[in-house]
This record gives sequence, C-alpha cells and structure tokens, in this order.
Amino acid sequence: MWIKDRHMWMVFVLPGVLLLVLVLGWPAITSILYSFESGRAGEAGYTLANYKGLFKDPFFKTTFWNTVVFVSFSVASHMILGLAVAMVLHSALPAKPLFRVIALLPWVVPDVVAGIIWKWMYDPIYGALNDLLITIGIVDNPIEWLSNPKLAMTSAILVNLWRGFPFVMLILLAGLQAIPRHLYEAAAIDGAPKLQQFIHITLPGLKKMIVVALALDIVWEVRRFGLIQAMTQGGPGVLTEVLSTYTYKQYFKFFRFEYASAISVVMTIVLLLVSLPYIWMISQEE
Amino acid sequence: MRMEAAKIRPGDVIAKTLIWVFLILVCIYCLIPFAWMLSTSLKTEAEAFRMPPTWIPLKLTVDSYIGIWVRKNFGIYFFNSTVISLATAALSTFFGALAGYGFSRFFFKGRRFLIGFFLATQMLPGVLLVGPYFKILSKVGLYDTRTGLIIAFLTICLPFSTWMMKGFIDKVPDELDQSAMVDGCSRLGIFFKIVLPIVAPGMVATILFAFLLAWGDLLWALCLTSSEPMITVTLGIARTVGEFRIIWPMLMAGSLVGGMPAIILYVFLQRLLVQGLTAGAVKE
Repeated sequence: MWIKDRHMWMVFVLPGVLLLVLVLGWPAITSILYSFESGRAGEAGYTLANYKGLFKDPFFKTTFWNTVVFVSFSVASHMILGLAVAMVLHSALPAKPLFRVIALLPWVVPDVVAGIIWKWMYDPIYGALNDLLITIGIVDNPIEWLSNPKLAMTSAILVNLWRGFPFVMLILLAGLQAIPRHLYEAAAIDGAPKLQQFIHITLPGLKKMIVVALALDIVWEVRRFGLIQAMTQGGPGVLTEVLSTYTYKQYFKFFRFEYASAISVVMTIVLLLVSLPYIWMISQEE
Repeated sequence: MRMEAAKIRPGDVIAKTLIWVFLILVCIYCLIPFAWMLSTSLKTEAEAFRMPPTWIPLKLTVDSYIGIWVRKNFGIYFFNSTVISLATAALSTFFGALAGYGFSRFFFKGRRFLIGFFLATQMLPGVLLVGPYFKILSKVGLYDTRTGLIIAFLTICLPFSTWMMKGFIDKVPDELDQSAMVDGCSRLGIFFKIVLPIVAPGMVATILFAFLLAWGDLLWALCLTSSEPMITVTLGIARTVGEFRIIWPMLMAGSLVGGMPAIILYVFLQRLLVQGLTAGAVKE
C-alpha cells in the first residue's frame, strides 16, 4: 500500500467533504456575500443596507414573530403529545405495532400532501372538519379556519402538531426502550408512586433523546416550507407568513436576491445558535 | 408482575380506560385526514361539492385515479421524482458511506471539527442556498434540469447519509477490520468486501431515507425547475392548488398516489430509521 494506514482517512472522508464544500459551502458563502451587496446595477462594493432594511421592514418583523410563535407552539405541542403517545405505546399494550404505524402516518407523507389534505379538511363549506364538529354538536356555525385572521395561525399550528408529533414520539419511544426495566422494578418495590418514577427515572433517562428531539424539531419547524406554501401561501395577508415562505417570496416574486439573502443569513444564525448545544453534545462524545 | 396481577384496584381500571380513550382519540386525529383524502378521491367532482359532505361516496368512481395520468401529466412528474430521488439517494449514500467509514475508523487531527461541520450543515435552511443555486445553475445551463435538482438535493441528503452510515458502521466491531488487515486486505478492500455487506440493511435504510427526503421536497423544485417536462410530483401537486378551479377529487387522488411511496417505505423502515436518526445520541 502506498499510503500509510493512518493517512487512509483522507481517501474515505475527503471526497464527501470536498463534495459538501462544493455543493453547499460555496453557495452558502455566495449567499452571505449577496447579502452585503446593494443589488443596484453599477454599484460595486459591500454595504450593510440589506441588514438595516430588515429593521425597517414591518413585514420582516411580523414574519419573524410569526415564525417564533409557529415554531414554539409547534415544538412544545410536539413534545407533550409525542411524549404522551410514546409512553402509552411503551406500556404493555396489545397491537402495539399497528398503533405505532398509525401514529407515524402523518409524519411520512410529503409536506405538500399534508398541507393540501388539511386545506381541504379546513374548507369552511365543503370540508370535513366543520361537518364533524357540527354533527357532534361542538359548534353551530361553520368555522373559517384558514381565512379568519384570528384563527389562521392557530389552524396552521394544529396541522403542524398533527404533522410533527410522530417524529418526537419515535425518538422518545426509542429512548424509553433504552431505560433499564430493573430501575422501575426497584422503585416499585420501594413503593415509589408512578409520578415519582416518572420524575426520577423516566425524565432523566430521556434527557439525551429530549435534547436530540428538541434540536432537530426546532430546526425542522423553522425551515418548514411546503406545508404552509401548499396550505395558505402565508395568507390571509401575512398572518401565516413565516421566514422561509417570506424569503422565498423576496427571491422569486420580488427578485430582491440580496435582501432575501440577508433574511436567510439571519435565519441561519438563529438555527446554528439553537442547534449549537446539540452539535456540541454529539461531537464531544465522538 | 405477579404482585400487580394480585390486586386490581378500581383506580387501575379507570387509568386503563383513560389510556385507551386517549389512544383512540390520537388514532382518529391521525387517520381522519387520510380517510377524508381517500373518500374525496373516490367521488365525482359534483359530489365533492355536496352539502353536507358525504364520507362514503354515494357514487364510487376511480375516474380521478385515471385522470391524473391521462388528463394531467402525472406520469412525467412521477418519472422525474423517481429518477431524481434515486440518483440523489445513490450518490449521497455512496459518499456518505465512505465518509462514515472514515469518521468511524480513523482518529485523525481535525476529525471532531469535520464531524461538527457535517452536523452543522444539517441545520442550514434551504432558503440560504436557493438564491445562489438559481443564479449558478442558470449560468451553467442546468436550471430547469433534473441534474440541477440532483446536485441541489445532495446538500440536504449528504450530511444525513454520512451521519446515518457512520452510526451503522460504528456497530461493526473494529477487530474485524484489524484481523482482515493482518491477512493482507487493503482498507478499501475491507470497506467494500467486509464492512458494506455487513451494514447492508443500514445502507438500504439510508438510501431509502435519502430517497424520501428528495421525494418530499417542494422548496428546491419550486425554485430550480419550471417547465412541465421537468417538474416533480410535489411541485405538480402544489401547482394544481394554484389553479383557478381546484378539482378536489383529482387533487386528492394525486396526493394519495404521490404520498404512497413514502407511506409504504416508512412503514417498513421505521425501526432502522429510528436507529439511524438517533445514532450517536444513544450508545449501547
């Protein structure tokens, strides 16, 4: 062999690294450079104008807060429902695989499909949801889920709860299965009540998986695009507009590439900050 | 266990009932949209706009399932999605497996930094990249081509594939490699002839997961393709929503067919998928 074995890592790792730098690193840096350009013909050099523009843009502010609301409520509800379903599925139960498959379904269809099914579910006149609620007797009049300004964001979050909780459930279920059974048996012999067992055994045992689920879920919800694009396209007005759909509009509706790049750079920074603990945790263990 | 069976308290019965009620409600929440999609896809267009809506179609018809192939270009979309997703999956799994092996077996300087780099690239938003991609691909003549989209999808899939493959390869004991080397086997020989066959199930999972990541995307397809012969299933579906008059039965049939590959693959894959996603987070 003409390469020493301890140098062989290059043969394995470098193709992937170089490819990633080429298809991802280079465009990412290009995008960052765009964000410092003015975008007007004949104006050379770099400027902070796009970033200053962000602070003056009321739509950016709205969109930013929409994203914060959308992501935090989505993630919080995913964690609660995901944990609850994971615990139920972890307990002794007949037909467990069947239930797991059913609970996984909302997560597996493409974003666009999820958005479109719910757009049709939510249809105020011909949709299934109002029909169901009226039949059961919970409401008297059809609700305008997506067109009522007060409801639009809540409706979008409800869809995203449906879409996203199975992922958290999957991860936490794997975590639950990794907690040694004898811990619970010992606690039961000592007469510790179920709640105590949950606080002192289950939660600490799940800590790592919760970090993983939280980090990945936050990142995915911030980036969520197809769902909203298919369902509301940010409407009514800008009430369900989030950063990813807004950036898309700036790029391909208004062709303000430099400004759009500035928004996406802000998004990137937020995402990296949020996921730093996760990246740190994982790479320290390596 | 015997102790629990000995005394059944009324509290336990209530708890059990509540758990079942909860579980059934969750199942309804999960399934109703799918039932509605299926029901609508089997209706005539007139019945889809009936008041109050019907759950079991009065007149069952599969016209919509024929219509998406005959009246819409679903065949083209399906072909494009399949080709693009397969190529992306193959490329990203190949390079991912190589890099995954490298990260798993070699402890070189800068290893931790590179692992951090791969992890961080998973966090980048697609919108950071679509602008430069649009401009660069237009310049080199790859805008609105399948090749362009395949290159773009590598940005999403390669980090994931590397991470998943590393997780699977970590489980193969290093002693195997060492003893093969003593027998005079080269590193590449070990990788291709010993390690890859052992992690074959994991590799299948990685290929399928990358396939599904590409299959489910809308953002990139929306930004990098435009003409009817080049667009994917997801974009084809999304475009139908923008049309002046939405034919819901056909749209639902399209969504169901477009979502089917994902549903089938995930259901078979869920165990391997969890292993891959949580690789590194749980060490046995």
